Amino acid sequence: MSEFPGKGLAKGLAVTLKTMTKRSTTRQYPDTPPDLPPRSRGVIALVEENCTVCMLCARECPDWCIYIDSHKEEVQVPGAARARQRNVLDQFDIDFSLCMYCGICIEVCPFDALYWSPEFEYAEYDIRDLLHDKERLGDWVETVPPPPAHDTNGEPAKEETAARKTQLAG
Amino acid sequence: MSREVVVGTGAGLDTADMVLNIGPQHPSTHGVLRLRLVLDGERVISCEPIVGYMHRGAEKLFEARDYRQIIVLANRHDWLSAFNNELGVVLAVERLMGLEVPERAVWLRTALAELNRVLNHLMFLGSYPLEIGAITPMFYAFRERETIQAVLEEASGGRMHYMFNRVGGLKEEVPAGWTTRARAAIGEVRRRLPDLDNLIRRNEIFLARTVGVGVLSAADAAGYGASGPVARASGLDLDLRRDEPYLAYGSLDVPVVTRTTGDCHARFDVLLEQVYVSLDLAEQCLHQVDTLQGPVNVRLPKVLKAPEGHTYAWTENPLGINGYYLVSRGDKTPWRLKLRTASYANVQALATLIPGCLVPDLIAILGSMFFVVGDIDK
Repeated sequence: MSEFPGKGLAKGLAVTLKTMTKRSTTRQYPDTPPDLPPRSRGVIALVEENCTVCMLCARECPDWCIYIDSHKEEVQVPGAARARQRNVLDQFDIDFSLCMYCGICIEVCPFDALYWSPEFEYAEYDIRDLLHDKERLGDWVETVPPPPAHDTNGEPAKEETAARKTQLAG
Repeated sequence: MSREVVVGTGAGLDTADMVLNIGPQHPSTHGVLRLRLVLDGERVISCEPIVGYMHRGAEKLFEARDYRQIIVLANRHDWLSAFNNELGVVLAVERLMGLEVPERAVWLRTALAELNRVLNHLMFLGSYPLEIGAITPMFYAFRERETIQAVLEEASGGRMHYMFNRVGGLKEEVPAGWTTRARAAIGEVRRRLPDLDNLIRRNEIFLARTVGVGVLSAADAAGYGASGPVARASGLDLDLRRDEPYLAYGSLDVPVVTRTTGDCHARFDVLLEQVYVSLDLAEQCLHQVDTLQGPVNVRLPKVLKAPEGHTYAWTENPLGINGYYLVSRGDKTPWRLKLRTASYANVQALATLIPGCLVPDLIAILGSMFFVVGDIDK
């Protein structure tokens, strides 16, 4: 036990007094936006041009919150003997009321059509409005930050390695 | 078992036992736990924890999800120690596959697991005093949590559900300069932690509420399969990080914090001491990470299949021992993945701990058992 009664309380109050003289650590959120790191998982952005409708993201999603629909179109490639078939994306919706923000869709996308953006202010009054269609997902693209450089002791990002290879080849 | 009568029917001076249900909703229970108490006045005669209100069928879902999707589910049953939960799953899968994880990943994982332990403990160090009436420690605990969460968010992108483990290592390399910033955060937390310590540990009111209350004997703790800080506060000297090292713990000297009194204050004390220990361990790991070069994961096929067989991996999670019994029939999903969670075992001890105590002590005991309801119900 403490030597004199109330020592523990006095020590506690001393902490309070000490803290009182310091600057507050609280940041008044709507007025001061938080600094979020580039890897922050806020919302998923879609680069529509890169999507080939391979459906990997929709299949790998643990709770199937990605809805994709497409149709096939014939494209005449100059010089080619036959018309080529191409997938055209009609619908790409992510239901953020179901999304668990795990990032698996972004990881499995082989054509870099999906990106994380730290943007988080998209709360809605109606849960149905959390279903973002491909236009809305496309709007997030401009908020996607460049990825941080990797620790020099580790391996560089695979994008960096790929870029270096193409540079050497070209 | 004594006679149970509905309140209000007892006539005159006859006192009847009252059945009181605490929960399923109660602010002191971190979720939806129900305690069925039989009271004789202010004294609790019997207590039966009724679990299952938050059962989400995680184990059954594991059987229908591939190994990457399991990590998503696994880091959610105990939402305060997501990294450690992910770790148990991937360790089990790696063991079954006979996979060698790069050394840099092993040390990074150890560092992150210890940082997550600090986060978990800080949560309880803040919420436990809050439950018995002291609001202020919460603010100090959350100030420290925020510092460490920023570091984890920078590496993984998540503040709670990190999703940073993968079978064979980690998702990706940490950003440049991250280890330095992580060390700075650890230093800052270590410097400011005495604030929390001075504020509450020897506070007379806190001592009056917790010392000698809810004494769990080492035999009872062992009998109920309690583990982690709860068991160590009763003198049960068991810590897998030292006794059956996984990750890089084998090459670290892990000081195991124990107390012998087994009361609420001892449990709080163990938690607070463990934060200091974990900060030291995390710092050592980060120093080691800086000396290692190389990849943080293993290149694996797109469709990952664990070979036929079974294995049991267990880890020292912040709340106690978590076990993962993985049975695979060679498919891309496990045939069965059984979870042994720390909170489930720890909360069972309430049945012996609470009878005989007073209603006000009930909250002190309940809060000091450090459980997450999601971890009980899975």
